[in-house]
Amino acid sequence: MMRRDLVILAVLAAAALALPYVASEFVVSLALSCLMYAALASSWASFCGSTRYLSLATAAFFGIGAYTSALTLGTLPWLAAIGLGAAIAAAVAVVMGAAVLHLRGTYFAVLTFGMTELIRHSIAYFEKQVTGTVGRVLTVVPERDTIYLTVLGLAVAAVLAAIFIRPSRFGLAMAGIGADEQRAETLGVDTRVVKIAGFAFTAAFAGAVGAAMSVRWTYIDPATVFNPFIGFQTVLIALIGGAATLWGPLLAAVVFSLLAETLRLQMPQVYMMSLGLLLILSVLYLPGGLASIRWRRA
Amino acid sequence: MNRHPLVEARALTVRFGGLTAVDAVSAAFAPGELVGIIGPNGAGKTTFFNALSGVVAPTSGELFALGEPLAGAAPHRFAEHGIARTFQTPRVFASLSVAANVGFGLRFAGRRRPVPALLRDEASILALLGLEAQAALPAAAITPSQQRLLEIGMALATRPRVLLLDEVAAGLVEREIEAIARLAHRLRDELDLTVIWIEHAVTTLLRQVERVIVLHEGRKIADGTPAEVVRNPEVVEAYLGDEMAEPA
Repeated sequence: MMRRDLVILAVLAAAALALPYVASEFVVSLALSCLMYAALASSWASFCGSTRYLSLATAAFFGIGAYTSALTLGTLPWLAAIGLGAAIAAAVAVVMGAAVLHLRGTYFAVLTFGMTELIRHSIAYFEKQVTGTVGRVLTVVPERDTIYLTVLGLAVAAVLAAIFIRPSRFGLAMAGIGADEQRAETLGVDTRVVKIAGFAFTAAFAGAVGAAMSVRWTYIDPATVFNPFIGFQTVLIALIGGAATLWGPLLAAVVFSLLAETLRLQMPQVYMMSLGLLLILSVLYLPGGLASIRWRRA
Repeated sequence: MNRHPLVEARALTVRFGGLTAVDAVSAAFAPGELVGIIGPNGAGKTTFFNALSGVVAPTSGELFALGEPLAGAAPHRFAEHGIARTFQTPRVFASLSVAANVGFGLRFAGRRRPVPALLRDEASILALLGLEAQAALPAAAITPSQQRLLEIGMALATRPRVLLLDEVAAGLVEREIEAIARLAHRLRDELDLTVIWIEHAVTTLLRQVERVIVLHEGRKIADGTPAEVVRNPEVVEAYLGDEMAEPA
């Protein structure tokens, strides 16, 4: 099972690696968007899908990563800036998680969203009052292929991590928390530590992706990189694909990025409407997500 | 033999708002004891278990596992100290296989505890319960009485010193209850395990245990052998009534 997953991942990664050499600029930019959401949704699902703690804070960690690389790229090498973005996002997640991870369901979701808004407005306020800017222009920008390879690396790492976490003690503990948190506790799971570690893991990936993607825009401001839509879209992709499955988030990330790019330009409302409609349909008829279809037949 | 209390509650009190569910209960449990806890509905039996297993933090009072204070600690600490429990309604992991449900405890609280041969791995625990044939089935697919056994197996997988059984016999037929009682005796005899057993069906329980604690409105009103307890006037008045007028 694990062997099969690793082979599939290797094949997909090789195909994505070859893409910039054969495809047009437009296709590569489309693929970058697929990879970004694949990394975000897969890492989100590793924690949120198994524990059923629905976090809307992805945009917060993405934005923190984006700002980290925007501020440090002049002085730090590329990969160091990405690593720092991941580290700061994870550190914020530890603090945030310690404060809100004892809450479940709606309360947890709403609080993570509230904290995202709080961070966004704090940074906007800080920039206006202290540094006297509304946004930042990135002058040191790596080549397009560097960004593509980095985000590809992050997407592969996110799926690879998911493959190894699932059968591990950490993965089992998270699945136990999702199934019956109190029962897992009475069987010896330190749920507090596991939840904070899982939340920080998700945040580190979102931070790294944000750090890598910020340079693509060359100009960033809080409204762009802390856009709650990034968080919502990550959640929707993971849920529609199947948050408890390994390949569901990846599958849905590709479908939705393609859908987004093709529909958003001509008919933005149609894209949002179809996203909403698909979510309703999948919650009603496919609670396990797109990836659960083949399991029913087996 | 070491006769220090394995688990001890001192003036343990649990309040929910204005309701005192457990009212200053003190009790000590020695290794290898087979103890029953009885009491009418709402007597505080399950809340007492919840406090003993860390699921509910006591409002006041103290709790010790082999002398170490545990009151207010998270449930996983209780499990690590060898206190395992079952829940009244089986709380098995429905999507995991029967074997994986047992494996869960083995991989967490049971991991750093001494390994008796009876509780060596999934197979030996399932053999103890007679669930070998169901090992590969999802836990959702087995019968409710098998789920009750699995619930005990999940607790045993933490390799405990104390096993808290919360109404495991509810809804089972006499033959199944006898099997669980035999298992409890066997675990006590071979592993020196302490079994504390709550049951609503008093007559069944009194036949199986050597010591009975009676709770009434959160207070402990009796603690002794089944023969002593059924003659205790306070117990008879509070709870037993005609049911125990002629003990077996």
